[in-house]
Amino acid sequence: MSHRHSILCILPPYMLEQIAQRGTSGQRQTAARSIAASQQIRNKRRGLSLATFRGALHARMAATTLKQRAVYSANFSTQLPGTLLRGEGDDPVSDPAVNEAYNGCGDTYDVFSTAFGRNSIDNNGLKLISTVHYDKGYDNAFWDGEQMIYGDGDEDRPSTERLFNRFTVSLDIIGHELTHGVTQYEANLDYNNQSGALNEAISDIFGSLVKQYKLGQTAAEANWIIGDGLFTANVKGVGIRSLKAPGTAYNDFVLGSDPQPAHMRDYVTTIEDNGGVHINSGIVNHAFYIMAAELGGFAWQKAGMIWYTALTEKLTSGSNFQNAANLTYEAAAQIFGANSLEQKAVKNGWSQVGISITGIGSEEPTPTPIPDPIPVPPVSVPEQGQGCMTVLMRAFGLRK
Amino acid sequence: MMQIIFERTGGIMGRKVSVSLDLDEMPSDQSTTLRRLVDESDLFTLDEEPIKTSRPDEFIYTITITTKTIQQTVRASDTSLPESLRPLLNELLTHTG
Repeated sequence: MSHRHSILCILPPYMLEQIAQRGTSGQRQTAARSIAASQQIRNKRRGLSLATFRGALHARMAATTLKQRAVYSANFSTQLPGTLLRGEGDDPVSDPAVNEAYNGCGDTYDVFSTAFGRNSIDNNGLKLISTVHYDKGYDNAFWDGEQMIYGDGDEDRPSTERLFNRFTVSLDIIGHELTHGVTQYEANLDYNNQSGALNEAISDIFGSLVKQYKLGQTAAEANWIIGDGLFTANVKGVGIRSLKAPGTAYNDFVLGSDPQPAHMRDYVTTIEDNGGVHINSGIVNHAFYIMAAELGGFAWQKAGMIWYTALTEKLTSGSNFQNAANLTYEAAAQIFGANSLEQKAVKNGWSQVGISITGIGSEEPTPTPIPDPIPVPPVSVPEQGQGCMTVLMRAFGLRK
Repeated sequence: MMQIIFERTGGIMGRKVSVSLDLDEMPSDQSTTLRRLVDESDLFTLDEEPIKTSRPDEFIYTITITTKTIQQTVRASDTSLPESLRPLLNELLTHTG
């Protein structure tokens, strides 16, 4: 299933920028992707950083989109959504959980908007609703299909026995929960077995990218931990999962040890937790980390774009790990070109967790010329003084 | 005679907690509380699995109660949990490790 947008691909960057700022949500998303691919070619010629160009573009895109947030408190009950404590544009309140949920939603919205051209969870401006202070002693956060819900950890225990802080303390967890919403509106991956583990991995991946974006970290600088700051000092652990080193996030007398595998040979077959969705996601998480580390730079720009394209255009509800491998490989070719460094990094990432790319496009490079990642035309970047018409005429062979 | 096996799985951490209780072997104040909460939960009238699909990261609770005459299992999640069960769940959670 390929979604090339040849008209957008042959448009010069300044027109793509206009579309990226003023088009419909779908047009903005397509424009952002086209810009990423075409800019890559230009960078090869000019030696410029991809981030330089996209940073300016995305700042303008963010300014033209509107996020709507509302944070409620359940007041330690289970009634939803609870009492509204902060709406969009309201000043910060004295409750840190409320402000963390508000700001975390904003940060997540901004990443999806600026990096991928997406307008909220549903790509149509859906209001981001959060409820904090859910239940007593509720050591969890979840997405209920309509909103985010956060507990305060084990706030009902003495401080010497507490294991968890409030769940809004960790930006990657907020990003994780919001991404479940994005997945619901896109691939809608079944929440069990491998499709469920894919669902979980996608939330970990984009949750981690939200944190990296907020902190301005490259793949090499990021800690790739989910649940930063969630554990109290009573726990021996740095978070609940590690994309960089699955199975090493915690090893604690009370909590036990991180059970995540990093390779298919250690895949866990179980009926618990909907078929181990939070366990086997480690394999996919690690494949993403390897790819992102190999590509370097800001992980949301290339690795994130590849996975976002797979999530929104290729994966379906029943997709398994093998499907994800093949479809991210396909997405990499779609954006960056067949046999590009990016596509090879995708393949290497999956290979190192024990999954080989199969099907069309999985063969090794042949001696035939490597196709241009942009479908048409051979020359698509107008130099100074060239108009769109010149580019179009060249594309159709009407002008040299 | 009454035995309760309680299990909670799922959650964003995916960590299982569980406990197996024989009420005849417990201190009487604890067993009395549990018997009362079981009665008030209407557990024996509930469907075994009121939840059909799980929401991402929510907890999934499984309670199996065995008496001399009946055994009943109920599996529910945060978003499908009958309110009558919640006090019993909260009490059982205090017994888990």
